[in-house]
Amino acid sequence: MDNSTLFALLILFLPFTAFLYQLFFGKKLGAQTHLVSLGIMGIVLALSLGFFFQLFNHDLTGPILDVSGEWFSTGAFTLELGFYIDKVTIIMLMVVSLISFLVHLYSTAYMKDDPRYSRYFAFLGLFTFSMNGIILSNSLIMMYLFWELVGLSSYLLIGFWFEKNSAANACKKAFLTNRVGDIGMFIGMLLIFFTVGTFSINGITGAVTNGAFEGNMQLLSIAGVLVFMGAVGKSAQFPLHIWLPDAMEGPTPVSALIHAATMVAAGVYMTVRIFPFLTPDALQVVAVIGGITALGAALIAITQMDIKAVLAYSTISQLGYMIMALGVGAYQAGFFHLVTHAMFKACLFLCSGSVIHAMHHSLHHLGDHHTDPQDMGNMGGLKSKMPITYTAMLIATLAISGVPFFSGFLSKDAILAGTLSYYHTYHGWTIFLPIAGFGAAMVTAFYMFRLIFKTFHGKPVKPEIHEHVHESPLAMTAPLIVLSVLSLAVVFTLPQINPLDGHGWFAHAVGNGAHAAGLDIKHVNDGIHHAHHDAMNISLIVATLGILVSSLFYLFKIVNVEKLTSILNLIGLYSLSKNKFYIDAIYNALLYKPFMWFSKLASTIDWDIYDQKIVDGWGWITMKISVKSQEADYNWLDQKIVDGFGRFANYFGNELRTTQSGVVQNYLMGGIVGLVAIILIFQQF
Amino acid sequence: MYLNYSPIIIYTILAIIMVVVPLFIQSLISPKHNKGGSKLTSYECGEVPEGSAWVKFNVRFYVIALIFIIFDVEVVFMFPWAVVFQELGLLAFVEMLIFLLILLVGFAYVWVKGDLGWVKMKMKYAHGRYSKLSIKEEV
Amino acid sequence: MSNFSSIAYYIPELILVILILSVIVIDLIPSLQDLKFPVAFIGLGLLALALNLSHGVKASIFMDLIVVDPFSHFFKWIFVLATASILLVSRYSVEVEEENHVEYISLMLMILLGLFLMASSTNLLMIYLAIELVSIPSYILAGMKKNDRASNEASLKYVIFGSFASGLMLFGLSWLYGISGSTNILDIHAALLTNGNQFLVYMSLMMIMVGFGYKISMAPFHYWTPDVYEGSPTPVTAFFSIGPKAAGFAILIRVLYTIFTNDGSLNATSPLYDVNWTLIFAVLAAITMTIGNFLALHQENVKRLLAFSSISHVGFMLIAFTVIGTEALTALLFYLVIYFFMTLSAFIIAIFIKNKLDTDTIDGWKGLAIRNPLISAFMVISLVSLAGLPPTAGFVGKFYLLAVLFRAKTFYWLAVVAILNSIVSLYYYFKIIKSMYFLNEEEEVSSEPLEVNPYVKWTAILFSAQTLLFYFYWTPLIEFINRSLSFWNS
Repeated sequence: MDNSTLFALLILFLPFTAFLYQLFFGKKLGAQTHLVSLGIMGIVLALSLGFFFQLFNHDLTGPILDVSGEWFSTGAFTLELGFYIDKVTIIMLMVVSLISFLVHLYSTAYMKDDPRYSRYFAFLGLFTFSMNGIILSNSLIMMYLFWELVGLSSYLLIGFWFEKNSAANACKKAFLTNRVGDIGMFIGMLLIFFTVGTFSINGITGAVTNGAFEGNMQLLSIAGVLVFMGAVGKSAQFPLHIWLPDAMEGPTPVSALIHAATMVAAGVYMTVRIFPFLTPDALQVVAVIGGITALGAALIAITQMDIKAVLAYSTISQLGYMIMALGVGAYQAGFFHLVTHAMFKACLFLCSGSVIHAMHHSLHHLGDHHTDPQDMGNMGGLKSKMPITYTAMLIATLAISGVPFFSGFLSKDAILAGTLSYYHTYHGWTIFLPIAGFGAAMVTAFYMFRLIFKTFHGKPVKPEIHEHVHESPLAMTAPLIVLSVLSLAVVFTLPQINPLDGHGWFAHAVGNGAHAAGLDIKHVNDGIHHAHHDAMNISLIVATLGILVSSLFYLFKIVNVEKLTSILNLIGLYSLSKNKFYIDAIYNALLYKPFMWFSKLASTIDWDIYDQKIVDGWGWITMKISVKSQEADYNWLDQKIVDGFGRFANYFGNELRTTQSGVVQNYLMGGIVGLVAIILIFQQF
Repeated sequence: MYLNYSPIIIYTILAIIMVVVPLFIQSLISPKHNKGGSKLTSYECGEVPEGSAWVKFNVRFYVIALIFIIFDVEVVFMFPWAVVFQELGLLAFVEMLIFLLILLVGFAYVWVKGDLGWVKMKMKYAHGRYSKLSIKEEV
Repeated sequence: MSNFSSIAYYIPELILVILILSVIVIDLIPSLQDLKFPVAFIGLGLLALALNLSHGVKASIFMDLIVVDPFSHFFKWIFVLATASILLVSRYSVEVEEENHVEYISLMLMILLGLFLMASSTNLLMIYLAIELVSIPSYILAGMKKNDRASNEASLKYVIFGSFASGLMLFGLSWLYGISGSTNILDIHAALLTNGNQFLVYMSLMMIMVGFGYKISMAPFHYWTPDVYEGSPTPVTAFFSIGPKAAGFAILIRVLYTIFTNDGSLNATSPLYDVNWTLIFAVLAAITMTIGNFLALHQENVKRLLAFSSISHVGFMLIAFTVIGTEALTALLFYLVIYFFMTLSAFIIAIFIKNKLDTDTIDGWKGLAIRNPLISAFMVISLVSLAGLPPTAGFVGKFYLLAVLFRAKTFYWLAVVAILNSIVSLYYYFKIIKSMYFLNEEEEVSSEPLEVNPYVKWTAILFSAQTLLFYFYWTPLIEFINRSLSFWNS
């Protein structure tokens, strides 16, 4: 085994050992039990860094590692598990291990007095293990295994405070919603498998290039869309996005790690991996779903009052961006946005966690257990009390809003260029994509600054709470500082330092992707290159506009928000957004209610009519018959035949025991007689 | 092809004859009367038998006999070697030394464990595995 | 190959001989007496190393008396592992007295040497000597508990039945020599092909089968098994249920496939002439497993129960002889490995119970689940595997064996009997589980925790864990077995 394989194995299984340790020996170290997990994550981070530096080895062209071993073979087919590490893998690995490490660190303070402290770290370890598994896997089947495992760990962590009814419901909802996507993914995988005979991603790409689907591209399109359904579930895309806002019931560091930076991005990562064999038709579906999600979720975020809900919808919207980018063929931009988003969104979540933590402690101090510490309506003016959190959050907000000098600007800009270029190619309805992109960009800038202004600026809404708010401890602020630094554009563009040009090491490492199923990748990239300037100008304008309007509304309060709200509400616009486009209500009305009605009906038919009338009627008749037959049954069938078997075995065993008499003469006799009998019975001469 | 086995048949028949014929002859020539008295005693080279031959032997005889046989058989192996040992040369000599060494280990074992001693229990010169033994007190 | 150059291939056995002698010598020197067990383990470690180095070697040595080939190599691994684990456990067993340790170790190692020879001998005389080399120390080991009547009785019965069986076998071997004029099994096969009488071949096969059948406790030569197993010290019983049985199967395969098939090799497809031994084995397999299972139903003694269970497992393994071909042998060897792990783990736990509670009866196990949940859980795994239920390797093993029948499309009735038998076996295996886990309300048992010696505990856990491991991932084992299925033949 060479070093790379060993390192990959270590990266995969070390978090698992952390999980096992915390699960079985978690109580041993008491309050210091996080040291083990933290140490292990540190090692994982160091190993990932070791891989990371190989990115700058310019001689490297192909994958760093591509090994696989047989899992089992049934004769008809063989399943293999293995690792595939290329530059995309390494970057993703780096993102996950870094954020996982920071979240572990952050959690030591945030979860400090929780009674299930060690179990929390156990679940974090399990999650990191499964996430690394997804990243390292070289085949769809292995990815699917770990895919379900991240689903499980997400389920466990969302429901971590399972005493709360809402948390228990949320984790159930997340799990079930994901299942819908996963079923699609599994069917898609099987469709591909039965055509090309392998689950290996490289193998599928190769087979597609060699024309395995020649003349049958519709099948590949359908299979691709089905596999993509997994990503729709996991990355909370419309129409399966409903679980993510509820998932905010989990601890905030978990939201940062799983529901902002890594697990939800796994869907995008998977789409990046399968990108080479998604047909142009399938990609169009991907793009449209991404566009709808990006714009819709952004519009919902405007009116939410819960600080984490805003961030949740913002996450959905940004994931929509990434998906849309992949859909329009802007492979590099999509993955770039995944990475930048992971950094600034993790930062935002951790900042919000810091705020909630401070609010919670203040409320606790006051003995107030009714006020919601997450409600922005209770905040305001926290800037002076929590300077580090404020600065970090501001940087991350600038990044997500697409302001130059920050990472979000570059990645978002590239995506928008991609949508413009897509429109230039296809015309017609595809104008929806750039509109969704730019619209979402503007709305994002607006609601993010709304969050900042309402939380940190202005006068405190409740001064008595404000008085007892304190800055969070170092273990919490340190990750904030690290992540906010990583939200700067220059981190990703080195050695290039022009804030308007994204062509740094990152672009170099990721490249432009390859495509095997009929998309002219060069054409797409040229288009993106041409659309670049327009996209940049427009996005600068919309970002400025969003921030400006937001500050008019919430910082300077020139516009009366309530008045505007009531005007908008005349045609129901405000409540449309406030109620999340009624999607939950629609599901409730279209799926849940009819389903419940149907099951009630079925239960009525089953119980009242079938059971009570028919079955019981039969019962009455059969009672009569059975009384008669009982006699026969008990006396004959039971007593004689069924018990007879048992008694036969019993009797036979007992009788046989006499052969084992303990008298050695009899034994020898038995042996001789047996031998002679065998000889006589089987002789044929 | 059963003819190949005819010597066996002949041998079997001969064996039966050899048993049956002397018995027959002695029944012819033996006296028909006066069968009692000393004629029924077991023959011990003219000595008068001392009690029954069906007595329990002390188990120590058995151990000694066993050990004796082992070292007796050792000599059986050495004999053919000794006859031709000049032709076989050094290699055979070394092999025989190894053989003797293995038997020597067995000899050392019975010696140290005290199996060569005769009177064992509760005696001050009982040794080896017998040194800790004691006769059970009669109740 | 000449005697002198053979020695290079004989290093594992030589290490073993030196080990036996040095254990005896060490015991004679008072200051070194405590080193017996460490030396034995170091020696077995060296042996394993030497064995590992001889991987894949094929040679016929000592003037074709014995061979070194992958087939014997496979069995040697089983023997070494069994001996080492049993010795490890025996050290902490109360049934083996401290002052008998040296005899115990050296006899065990002598049996190991005999097993090695059994797996690799290709000469009738060598086969007989090897079997005797295994048997005679076994008799002594069975009677190791000098002051225990049952142990003495076990030893005596073993001697009597053993000499009976080896006498008949020797008779059969002499017939074979008479027909073919050679004692080398390869030569015998060649001679039988050109010149042989079916009836004589049949008779000699039958009589040889007595000797081998006695070693693997196949019906109707199984009578000694329960008595000997019950009377012997438990570690010895555990050893008897693995080592000699595996060796018996090894020699049975070698002799049957070399002499009594038309091809004379492992790739054979049909029996010699029309001596239809596959049918005989089918009937014997059915009888063996039925007798084992039904006799086990009424047992209250765990050791006796495991003895009958081992008989029924032998019946299962005999299924592999009803079809001639490497596929059947793969299934057999696979089952043997699984059987090795599950039986040993069950026995090791029985040894532990005997040590702690001094009881052999199933009732004595009552409430074990409270007193030591870990050990009981692993006992459950072993028992479930013995019963052949998923998710344990016992299931996979049974599956492979039955698959052999279905692939060959023969002896469907045997498959039915086998399946019915495994249902019967559930009853008595779960009797133990019931005793450990379920108590009647009025019953009161001590809930005081039982401490386990770490070596015993980990050996048991390690072995039971294998049965789970091989349920989920057995490909390497199958590959190893497939590589091992190769005889030396000129």
